[in-house]
Amino acid sequence: MVIGSGAGGGTTVRVLTEHGVKCALLEAGPMLNPAKEFKEHQMPYDLPHRGAEDGGKAYFGKGKPFGYFSTTSGGWELEGEPYTVAEGSEFQWFRSRILGGRTNHYGRMSFRFSPYDFQPYSKDGLGFDWPVTYDEMSPWYDKAEKFVGVTGTNHNDLPSAPNGQFLRPPTPKVHELLVKKSCDKLGIICIPNRRAIVTEPMKGRIQCHYCGQCGRGCQTASAYSSSQVEIFPAMKSGRLKVFDNAMAREILTDGNGKATGVVYIDKNTRREKVIRARAVVLAASACESARILLNSKTSEFPNGVANGSGVVGRFLMDTVGFGLSGYVPALEGMKHYNTDGFGGAHLYMPWWLWDKHNKLDFPRGYHIEIGGGYGLPGIGSFQGAARRAGYGQGIKDTARKEYGCSIGFAGRGEMIPNMHSYCEIDRNVVDRWGIPVLKFHFKWTDYEWKQARHMEKTFADIITTMGGRVTGLSAAQRESDGISTPGTIIHEVGTVRMGKDKRDSALNKYCQAHEVKNLYVVDGGFFVSNPDKNPTLTINAFAWRAADHLAEEMRKGNV
Amino acid sequence: MSKSISTRRDALRNIALALTASSAVQLTAQQAEHVHSAAAADTKNGKYTPKVFNGHEWATITRLSELIVPADARSGSAVDAGAPQFIDVLCSQNEALTAIFTGGISWFDAEMRKRVKKEFVTATQAEQTALLDAIVAADRQVRERNAEERLFAKAQQYKGFSGYTVNPGSDLAPGVIFFDWARRLIVDAFFTSPIGIKDINYVGNQALSKYEVPQEAIDYAIARSPFKVV
Repeated sequence: MVIGSGAGGGTTVRVLTEHGVKCALLEAGPMLNPAKEFKEHQMPYDLPHRGAEDGGKAYFGKGKPFGYFSTTSGGWELEGEPYTVAEGSEFQWFRSRILGGRTNHYGRMSFRFSPYDFQPYSKDGLGFDWPVTYDEMSPWYDKAEKFVGVTGTNHNDLPSAPNGQFLRPPTPKVHELLVKKSCDKLGIICIPNRRAIVTEPMKGRIQCHYCGQCGRGCQTASAYSSSQVEIFPAMKSGRLKVFDNAMAREILTDGNGKATGVVYIDKNTRREKVIRARAVVLAASACESARILLNSKTSEFPNGVANGSGVVGRFLMDTVGFGLSGYVPALEGMKHYNTDGFGGAHLYMPWWLWDKHNKLDFPRGYHIEIGGGYGLPGIGSFQGAARRAGYGQGIKDTARKEYGCSIGFAGRGEMIPNMHSYCEIDRNVVDRWGIPVLKFHFKWTDYEWKQARHMEKTFADIITTMGGRVTGLSAAQRESDGISTPGTIIHEVGTVRMGKDKRDSALNKYCQAHEVKNLYVVDGGFFVSNPDKNPTLTINAFAWRAADHLAEEMRKGNV
Repeated sequence: MSKSISTRRDALRNIALALTASSAVQLTAQQAEHVHSAAAADTKNGKYTPKVFNGHEWATITRLSELIVPADARSGSAVDAGAPQFIDVLCSQNEALTAIFTGGISWFDAEMRKRVKKEFVTATQAEQTALLDAIVAADRQVRERNAEERLFAKAQQYKGFSGYTVNPGSDLAPGVIFFDWARRLIVDAFFTSPIGIKDINYVGNQALSKYEVPQEAIDYAIARSPFKVV
């Protein structure tokens, strides 16, 4: 049985059912109905509240994360399902509660790790090495890219963006061409984006129609989601049964090192239920999986199931985030064209200084994502113009002149795992289902702060080189919030990490628990480091490999 | 509403068909017209009855909407775009927001009485814009001061720093706060309406079989950038 239906759980049930294995899938949220729930193609004026939500919630900071039209189901705060944060720490924990999890709305950035990403400790003495190499994982990335459908291009001598199995990327937009020219001048590499969008028909999915609204959920499944692309087809096989509104509490074990099933709360009836299974695969998200393991305490596993090493919950990482925007006069007065494209930017900048670390004051690197264009107007779109103009005709004039002339950059960088960043069970608090909650501890170190300052300088350079001006606050004012709040990039990983040695890791390289052979963890929990490559594709690849491994172990009778 | 959703779904089915046939469909222009004409019929033909505001408040919100986003040669005003209805709908679902508007309107009237012995809505256009000008000036002062205060907080970390002063708040503060709310909702209502989206000339939300960027736009921007070929 599989707990969680995002990229890890979705891949697992698809692969297992293809192997003929019968699966139960637990999802803590409801079943998804894309035709009913995805708000793709709606205009703001289709609704009396125009996207501000009932009573103007968005104006009071109480709207949905990423806005009303996005298909997020969940967020950083869930009613009745709290978590706590230790004094002196900051952390925001995003949880999805819907079939498909975060894959329904995520950015679809799909970057395979670089060879150097698997052995970071060997390279610079920080963090830890993975128990696998790039050569071992490369075929699994190939399979994942071919199945998910990822755009991109192959390059020679670009270690930060290895070659893969790519679909044709869409042509760059005008502001992106200016960014590229700026980057060329500054020695920054700028290449076609790698996103999980099919630009040609693929296995029953029709090609992208370039409405730019992937975050609202894609009715045509041209943008990958585990719900539409893996789980719905698996349900049709007749070998998958989905239990929705099912909140896992703990894993049951037999006292002889084997998992026997899972206890969960049926949210509809608030009654506890048990499912017995030959094998248990955790894919509940890095921190939720850690929580379930830590809450599964027995005399055999006094620290929680599969946690003899004590690493479960430790080495929590998020991605280092920093953003800066600018105004580009060269774009003023340009004839408007459709800039929606395939949702995200058509170009991106992979890390370009992989061999220049002796000249930098921070380790590892980051990639850069680009924003800009003539976006669909929404709540708040023209407030800057309105404030600058005051009132009257000036508001229209300013909005018309400035529309489409702004660009934004978001840095997404690698954090070094540290001892101060972890989650544990808060013994004093339970959620509304009676399950003890997580308490978070988190600290950025100088490594991350210095990387964010490098991002800031780089983005300012790119903006000014294209004749633009930075429109963010000045550096002196921004210093106190010049790095993303931990958890807000939603790349939290590392809490059930894999490794060669069972004394300092919970899983082997197949995502299989060292201590419980019929227990696997296939979400972001298994990560050993958190490179500047958004995690989903790596979860797809490792989950596929884990599911194949599990099916084979079952066939051999080892599990 | 149900009509617009079923239209959208039909449109999506069309996308699938059209893409299979490998031709582009321009779905949203007609669709937008259709949806909008249905919505407009509610408010224009039949008279809209405010859910929350009395006649005086409604007249004041309507006047503020005209002043903040007036009509011009290219497009209509925020009133044409349905801003007063938008505010009324949200307020009908939120007492805190209603209080902001009813209280703010009363303050505007009191301030106008002090100035010219009239309510805001019965004052002349020149008297109305004089008050808005004063509020916008005070608003700018507040924003600048906030920025200065952040710098001041920062500067305190430096040893030996002294002599920094912050201007006191203005008597117009309640008006500034209300005006900011009114402007926020009125401007949003305008630019999220069919009139505003047409005015700003957003040309997306379409189903395309191929994504293309016009060479004309590329040439235009490059020629105006530091990267122009000399």
